[in-house]
Amino acid sequence: MTSWTQPWLARIPEARRKQIGLTLLIIAALLFPILHDNDADIDSMANAAAYATLALGLNIVVGFAGLLDLGYAAFFAIGAYTYGLLTSFQLEPPWSPFWEPFRQVGLVSQIAGDSGGMAVHFTLSFWIALPLAAAVAAFWGMVFGAPTLRLRGDYLAIVTLGFGEIVPIVVRNWSDLTGGAAGLNGVAAPKLFGWSFGVDATPYYYVAIAMVALLIFVSLRLRDSRIGRAWMAIREDEIAAAAMGVDRTRFKLMAFAIGAAFGGMTGVFYVAKLQTATPEMFGFPVSVMILVMIVFGGIGSVWGVVLGAFILQLLQSWWLKDLTTWLNAAGRLVHSDWLAHVDLVPSIELIFGLILVGMMLFRREGLIPATRPQAALSFDQQHAEVRRGGFKDLELEGLGGERRSGETAMAIRDVTVRFGGLVALNKVSLDVPVGSVIAVIGPNGSGKSTLFNVITGLVPAESGAITFHGDELTNLPPHEILKKGVARTFQNLRLFGNLTVLENVLIGQHARLNTGIAAAILRPRSTRDEEAEAQRWAMQIFGIFGNRLVPRIGQMVTGLSYANRRRTEIARALASRPRILLLDEPTAGMNPAETLELAEQVKSLNQLGLTVLLIEHKLDVVTTLADRVYVLDHGEIIAQGTPAEVRQDEEVLRAYLGRNAQAAAAGVAVNA
Amino acid sequence: MTTFDLLLQQTINGLSLGAMYSLLALGFTLVYGILELINFAHFNVFMVGSFIAMGVLQLFGLNGQEVILTGLPLAMVLIAAFAVTMVASGALGVAIEVLSLRPLRNVKGPAAMITTIGVSYILFNVVLLSQGADAKNFPNPLPTKRFQIGGATLDLRVILIWIVALALMAGLYVFVQRSKMGKAMRATAQDPEAARMMGVEVDRVIVTAFFLGSALAGAGGLIFGLYYNFTSFIIGFTAGLRAFTAAVLGGIGNVPGAMVGGVLIGLIEAMAGQFIATAWADVIIFSILVLVLVFKPAGLFGRLAPQKS
Amino acid sequence: MLTRRRAAQFLATAATGLALSATHVSESWAADTVFKVAVDCSLTGADSESAVRVRNGVTMAIEEANDANAIPGIKLELVTYDDGTPTAGQYDPAQAATNARKMVSDRDVMAAVGPQMSGAGKAMAPILSQGGLAIITPASTNPDITNPKFAEQYRPAGKPIYFRTVTTDAYQGPNMANFFADKLKVKNVYVLDDSGAYGVGIADTFQKQAEAKGIKILGRDRLDPKAADYTTILTKIKSLNPEALYYGGVGQAGVKLAKQSYDIIPNVIKGGGDGMYGPAMLTAVGFPAAAGWYATIASPHLVGDTKAQAFVDHYMGRFHSPPDDYTITAYDATLVIIDSIRRVAASGKKVTRDAVRDAIQTAKVNTIQGVV
Repeated sequence: MTSWTQPWLARIPEARRKQIGLTLLIIAALLFPILHDNDADIDSMANAAAYATLALGLNIVVGFAGLLDLGYAAFFAIGAYTYGLLTSFQLEPPWSPFWEPFRQVGLVSQIAGDSGGMAVHFTLSFWIALPLAAAVAAFWGMVFGAPTLRLRGDYLAIVTLGFGEIVPIVVRNWSDLTGGAAGLNGVAAPKLFGWSFGVDATPYYYVAIAMVALLIFVSLRLRDSRIGRAWMAIREDEIAAAAMGVDRTRFKLMAFAIGAAFGGMTGVFYVAKLQTATPEMFGFPVSVMILVMIVFGGIGSVWGVVLGAFILQLLQSWWLKDLTTWLNAAGRLVHSDWLAHVDLVPSIELIFGLILVGMMLFRREGLIPATRPQAALSFDQQHAEVRRGGFKDLELEGLGGERRSGETAMAIRDVTVRFGGLVALNKVSLDVPVGSVIAVIGPNGSGKSTLFNVITGLVPAESGAITFHGDELTNLPPHEILKKGVARTFQNLRLFGNLTVLENVLIGQHARLNTGIAAAILRPRSTRDEEAEAQRWAMQIFGIFGNRLVPRIGQMVTGLSYANRRRTEIARALASRPRILLLDEPTAGMNPAETLELAEQVKSLNQLGLTVLLIEHKLDVVTTLADRVYVLDHGEIIAQGTPAEVRQDEEVLRAYLGRNAQAAAAGVAVNA
Repeated sequence: MTTFDLLLQQTINGLSLGAMYSLLALGFTLVYGILELINFAHFNVFMVGSFIAMGVLQLFGLNGQEVILTGLPLAMVLIAAFAVTMVASGALGVAIEVLSLRPLRNVKGPAAMITTIGVSYILFNVVLLSQGADAKNFPNPLPTKRFQIGGATLDLRVILIWIVALALMAGLYVFVQRSKMGKAMRATAQDPEAARMMGVEVDRVIVTAFFLGSALAGAGGLIFGLYYNFTSFIIGFTAGLRAFTAAVLGGIGNVPGAMVGGVLIGLIEAMAGQFIATAWADVIIFSILVLVLVFKPAGLFGRLAPQKS
Repeated sequence: MLTRRRAAQFLATAATGLALSATHVSESWAADTVFKVAVDCSLTGADSESAVRVRNGVTMAIEEANDANAIPGIKLELVTYDDGTPTAGQYDPAQAATNARKMVSDRDVMAAVGPQMSGAGKAMAPILSQGGLAIITPASTNPDITNPKFAEQYRPAGKPIYFRTVTTDAYQGPNMANFFADKLKVKNVYVLDDSGAYGVGIADTFQKQAEAKGIKILGRDRLDPKAADYTTILTKIKSLNPEALYYGGVGQAGVKLAKQSYDIIPNVIKGGGDGMYGPAMLTAVGFPAAAGWYATIASPHLVGDTKAQAFVDHYMGRFHSPPDDYTITAYDATLVIIDSIRRVAASGKKVTRDAVRDAIQTAKVNTIQGVV
C-alpha cells in the first residue's frame, strides 16, 4: 500500500505473506479477550462474529450465486427457535414412556409439569443443536428457494422479502409454540464437558470466532471448487451456465441450503448466548443490515464480508459510544460546547445511510473487492504466436477421435418452434454425420440461432424430435444435453464476464467433474487430483489457440479483445469434451487473418475426429470447412447440398438478396 | 349489521386503503418500468410527503382538529396543499435520482437498489431527528359528514380520497398514453438503447418518472394524513411494502396494473382482517404475492416492458 | 506491497486502539467520589419516543440530587446506554445484553434504570445477576423475569436484582377485568394487543381474568403497531356488537386505535393498560377521541396531584416537552436508587453494588407515586 513497506515486504513471496498475515490475525483473535479484559467489548465482538457468520452465509447466496435475498433473517430465526424450543421450558408435553429412550441419551429430562403430573423438558445439547439447526434451516432454505427458482433477480428479491416478513409474524402469532412476543424463557446455556458457559462472554467469543473461522474456511473451499465456479457461472449468466452443463435448479437450491445452514447455526449460537429470543430480533431491518454488511465489505469477497460485518456491528455496539465520549472529552478540552455535548449514538442510522450511499457512489466494490486488478502483460506475451492447425504437441485425447463412418451423429426431424404467433422453425430436418462439418447458413432472422437453442434445450420444441447417437435430446434440460456431448458457443458471446479466462474454461468442464459439497470442503486427494487434471486439460485446450490465450488465463474476460473472447468461448465449449461442437458465427467480428486462423483451427479439430455444426455468414469459411450446407430461410430449409451446389441455388440467392437484386448481383455478392 | 352491510363496509375500507396503495404503487412501477430498479427510497418519500403536507396545512393556520373548513376555502386550501406537497415531493424524488442514482446508471447488479436503501435510512432519520419520534396531529379541515348506505357508513373524507386518487391516476394514465413525454417513457421502458438512438433524452425521461412517482407519493402522504389525522416518521414502511406488493401483483412496470394491484391489496387486507385476523394479514398478503410470482411471474396483468436480458 | 486486506486489518486495529483510548479518557474524567447510575433504553428505532422520556426522567432526578447535595460527598453521574440498534430497527436484546455487561464492567456503576422492553430485560437479567448489579425497570412489565420458575435463569447468582416501579402485567390486566365485570357490568368484550411483549402480556392476563369473571370474549386479534389502518378490525368488532373493547399495548398503536375507534365504535366501552396514557394520546388524538377510555395505570396517573404538578412544571422547564408516566416511573426509580446509595453511605458502610442492592430491596422512599 505505502511505498516504504515495499522493499522488505516485496521480498517475501505472496503466499508466505498471506500465511503470516493469517497467523497474526489468528493470534490477535485468540489473545483479544486476554489483552482486552472487558466483558462488554468481548460480548460485542462475539455478536459481531455472529453477524460475520450471517454475512458469510448470505454471501454464498448473494455474492457467489447472485441470488438477491432480502429475507435472510428468516433462517437466522429458524435456527434460533430450533435451539430455543429444544432447550427451554417453552414446550412441555406430558411425560410418557415414549420419551424414555430420549432421556437415556440426554435429549430430554423429566420435570414436574405446570398442571401437575410429569412433563418433558427438552435438553438438547448445544453442540448437537448446531448441525441440527443447520440441517433444519437448510431444509427451509430449499423450501423457500424452490418457488423462486424460475424467477429473475428482482422478483427473487421480492419473494424472499415476503418469506422474510412471514417468518417473524408466524413466530409472533404462534405463541403456543414460540412464546410469541414475550420471548423464550429459560433457554439453556451451552455446556462443555459439564461446564456451563453461563453468562460470561469469553467462551461465547471463542465459539463465535471458531464458527467464523470454520465458515471462512468452508466459504473459501467452496468458492475455489467446482461448486463455487458453478454458482458464479449462474451469477454471471444463467443461460450460459445451463448450456455449459450446470444444473441450475440443483446449484441454486444448494446455495440457498448452504446459506440458510450458516444462518441456522448462527441462530443457535445467538440464542444460546442471549438465552432468550423475541420475534423482533429477526425482522426486515436485520435482513437489510446483513445485506449492507456484505455490500460494504465487498460482495462475493469472503474476507470482505467478514470485515464489513465486524465494522458495522462494532460501530453500533461499541465504537460509536466511545467515539462520542471521546469527542465530548475533546470538546471540553477545546472548549467547544457543541463538541462537548454532541451525541453520535442517536444518529447511527443516519450514519449508516450515509455510509451506504457513499460506498455505492465512490467504492462500489466494497472494502475488500472480490476481484483483484491484474498485472499487465509483457510485450512478449502480447505478441501473438499464431498456430496454424496440427496439435501434435497437445494431449487432446479426450476430443473427437471419431471416424467418419457415415453414421448419423445428430438427427433433427421435423422440429417446429413457435414464439407466440411467430413460427421460428417450421418442420426442420437435418442430419449431422459422425466426423463431418455441417454448416447452416441463412439471412438474419431465418432461425439459425433458434435451431441451436432448440438443440441445446434453451427453447422448447413444439413438435419434432432431435436424437444424438440414438439418445433423445428433445426437451431435455440444457445441462443434460451438454452431458450427452453437445457443446455450443453463442452468437452474441455469453461468457462469464467477471471471471477469469481459466475459470470460464474450468466451468466448461463442470459436467465432467464430480466434486460434491463434502469433497469441495474437505478436499481429499481424489478432489485435488481432479482439480489438477482439470487445470491440465484447460491448458491443453488453450494450446489450440497458440499463445493467444495462455498468457491471459488469469485475466477477466471483460478485458479481452473481441477475437480472444470468441476463442475463450470456443475453448470453454471444447473443455467439456464434446462429441459435437456447435459454433454460432465463430468468426463474427474477426479480421480476415484471424478468421483464417480460426478456420484452420476448426479444421484441425475436425481432423482429430470432432463433429462440428456451424452457423456462419462468411461463405469462404463455409466453403473451406463444410462438408454439407443447409440453408434456412423464414424457419424452413430451402436448400441443401455441398457448398458448391448451394452457391448455385437460385432460391438461396433470392433469400439472401431479394428478388430484384438477385439478377444484378448473382455470383458476386455471395463471396462477401 | 347484516353480512351484506359488513362486506360493504369492509369493501369501503379496503378501497380507501387501496387508493393510497395505488398512488404509492405507481411510483414503484414508473421507476421500475424504466430503470428496473426497486426504489426503497420511495417508502420514505411518501412519509416525507405527509410531513410536507402537514407543514403546508399549518401554514394556512390549520392545527389539529379544531378548524373545519367548507366550500371555497376548503377547496382552495386542498388544491394548494396538494400542489405544494406534490411539487415538493416530486423535487425530492428528482434530487434523489440526480444526486444518488444517476452516477450508478450503467452499473449492473444491486448497487442502485442498495443506494435507495441508504437514501431511505437517511430520509427516515432526518425526519426522526428533526421532528421527533412522537405521532403528529395532522390538521384536518374536512367537515365530518357521514352517509349511511344500509348499515354501512361512508365518510365524506373517503369519497374525497377516492375522487382525488382517481383523478390523479387518470391524469397519469392520460399523460403516459398521450403526451410526447409519456410516449418517450414507454419507449424507454421497452428499450432504452433504441429510445436513445431515436432521440429520446433518457435522462429527462427518468427524471420525469421520479418526479411523477414521488409527486404521487406526496399526494398519498397528504391523503394519509387527512384520512388518519396523524403522521409519524414510521408510516413509510408498512404502507410502502404493501404498495410495492401491489405493484408486483399488478405486474411491475405496468401502470394500470399498479392501480388495480393497489386496490386488490387494500381489499385483501380488509377481507383478511374480517375473516381471518389482522395479525395474519401480512402473511396472507405475502403468500398471495409469492403464489402470483411463482405461477405468473409477470404479475396479474403482465409487464408492459419485455424482459431485458 | 501491503495488500488491501491487510490495510483494512490495520485500520480495524487502529480503530480498536482509538476506542480503547476513548475509554481511558472517560475514566480519567471520573475523578472524585463519583458514582454512576446507568440507564438503558431504546433510543434508536421505533420506541425512541418513550425512551427519551425515560432518560429525561432519570436525568432530572440525578441533576436534582446533585444540586441539592442529597448524598453528602458523593456526586452521581448518569451513563446512558442505548439498546436499540439499526440492525434490529428497534430494541435489540443482544445490545441490551452487551449494555448489561458494560454496566457490570464499569465499577463505578452502582445501580441501573431500565429497560423498557421485557425482551431486553430477559437478556439483561442473568448478566446483571452475575454482576450483582440491581436494576429498576420503569416500564417493562412482563412477569416471567420475576417468576420463581425461571429463577435459575434470570437470577443465577441467587439474590433478586430486577425491581420495578411499575406493577406487573399480572395485576394490570386483571384489575381492568374486575373493573369491567364489577363496576361496569360488562357482559362481553373484544380483546386486542399490539404484538409487543408488554401488550400481549397484559391482554393475555386481562382475557384470563375476564373469562374467570364470566365476561364473554368475543374475539382476540393483534395490531401491527407500524401499520396505520385499523378500520378493518374495528369494523369487524363493530359487527360483533360488543359492549366493551380492551386494548393491551403501548401508545404507538394505541393513538391510532383511539382515534379510529372513536369514529367507528364511539359507544363501546374501551379500556387499556398504562400504555394508553401519555402525552401522545392527548396531542395526537385530540380530546374527544381520547374520552371514553378507561385505563389502569401501573404508574398511577397523577394529573391534579400537586406534587406531580410541580414535577411536570419542572420537567417542562427543563426539557420543553411534556413528561409521560414512564418519565415519572423512571424518575421514581432513580429516587429509589439515590436514596439507597444515601442510606448505604450514611450507615458508614462502603458503597458497593451489593450494599445498594440490599438497600433497594428494603427501600421505602417518598416518591411522586407515593411510598414505594
